[in-house]
Amino acid sequence: MESIKLIIEEHRLLGNQVFKLAKSELIKTYRASALGWAWALVKPTVRIFVFWFAFTVGLRAGKPVEGYPYILWLVAGFLPWFYMQDMLNGGAGCVRKKKHLVTKMRFPVSTIPTFVSLSFLYVHWLLLAITIVLFAVCGHMPDIYYLQIPFYMFIMFVFFTVWGLFSGLLSAISQDFQNLVRSFTQAIFWMSGVMYNVDRIHNHTARILLKFNPITVVSSGYRKVFIYKQWFWEDPVELGCFCITLLVFTILALWAYKHLRKEIPDVL
Amino acid sequence: MGKENDVVIRFDHVTKEYKLYKSERARFKGLFSDKVPHKINKAVNDMSFEIRRGDAVSLIGRNGAGKSTILKIITGVTYPTAGEVEVNGKISALLELSAGFDANFTGRENIYLKCELMGFTKEEIKRLEPAIIEFADVGDYIDQPLRSYSSGMKARLGFAISVNVNPDILIIDEALSVGDKRFRKKCTERVREIMSGDDITLLFVTHSLDAAMDFCKRGIVLEKGVKLFDGEINEAIDFYNARD
Repeated sequence: MESIKLIIEEHRLLGNQVFKLAKSELIKTYRASALGWAWALVKPTVRIFVFWFAFTVGLRAGKPVEGYPYILWLVAGFLPWFYMQDMLNGGAGCVRKKKHLVTKMRFPVSTIPTFVSLSFLYVHWLLLAITIVLFAVCGHMPDIYYLQIPFYMFIMFVFFTVWGLFSGLLSAISQDFQNLVRSFTQAIFWMSGVMYNVDRIHNHTARILLKFNPITVVSSGYRKVFIYKQWFWEDPVELGCFCITLLVFTILALWAYKHLRKEIPDVL
Repeated sequence: MGKENDVVIRFDHVTKEYKLYKSERARFKGLFSDKVPHKINKAVNDMSFEIRRGDAVSLIGRNGAGKSTILKIITGVTYPTAGEVEVNGKISALLELSAGFDANFTGRENIYLKCELMGFTKEEIKRLEPAIIEFADVGDYIDQPLRSYSSGMKARLGFAISVNVNPDILIIDEALSVGDKRFRKKCTERVREIMSGDDITLLFVTHSLDAAMDFCKRGIVLEKGVKLFDGEINEAIDFYNARD
């Protein structure tokens, strides 16, 4: 409880600085190269193209889904994945990366995952806008289901900011944890519903287990908006699973903050 | 103003321990259990002192006496293991001159970044900016990314910010030894100018006893985290020299 109060206090202390720091994160990432902002698009485009090529041309799978071309189905699920992937690794590295702030001056540590997460969210907005345009160009105009985009975006942001706090603090103390996350990113990708529809898995246990994975929930959520045209309350089990995972990670993050906050400047 | 308000820094039986583990693995285990064997280094041991507004205090001691740890506790970078610390007023610390700088931003952007982190508004920074740039004296480099700076330029920019933000408490840790002779002289003059105001409190750490004598009226002699002497600067220096 005390940790929650401290975290809120730290955020209040920094105030609007959070947004400025998020912006400067972005500028830093994209200004160092000549192509700049284009890189924010190149990486996702290449990624999606590779998967589309492998599955459609190579494996000759990739059939249209619900009347939508396979590539659009890919785009809808991958759109949140890029943010989530950035946060899986970037979140785990965020405190360590801000060593120059934490060990050299008084700095509210709990705000680091917040502004890092926010800076990735800005990129996500850009990709989202492009996705909506892409769907429109292909003849699928925005409809009423698009209204739940903010909902899925919100739960995604909340979960991964909490994840960033937990993993960022733990990685700052122990490099091993960061290595662990790095090694498992690929595994996490394939064990979540980014590349396939979890609801079509026959094994009941596996299906439920995968729904405890927030990446599955968010990715399939975006597909519900763009492809399947379903509402988020139509699958309460999925939402319930998500809430349990969120709760577990919130408790872990608070534990990490309470125990590691004072250690971090000494060991980093 | 009441006497109570005059205390700007108060240490009340402050102890800072660092746990020393044999390996990274032992340190990791130590997070979850106190039973993992480790040694304890008391960098600051049951330290108590008060510093009042307008004081100019020098911390004197050999390497490992706990000077830097005390400054780190005062600036809030690190936390004491036990005891109470009270700090009233805006601190400008010349501990690590490049603290809060980001190598990918230009000098000018770094001025804004650092001052914003110190709690200034954009308008306030705009007002301070010319004085800072003038003092840093890095010429056209002010709009170049910080990674292209020489270490001397970085230090100058850091120093320029720290002495131009009108702090209540100025903390200097060996920082006056940066740059060439001309810049050192400029820094010394600037610190003297700041100190001419009555309300400024100075905390000074240096191995140069001459500089300590120059700026400070009071000296605290430390050894292995323990306060040995607290009094007039001349007596403190005599005490320190006598122990050598």
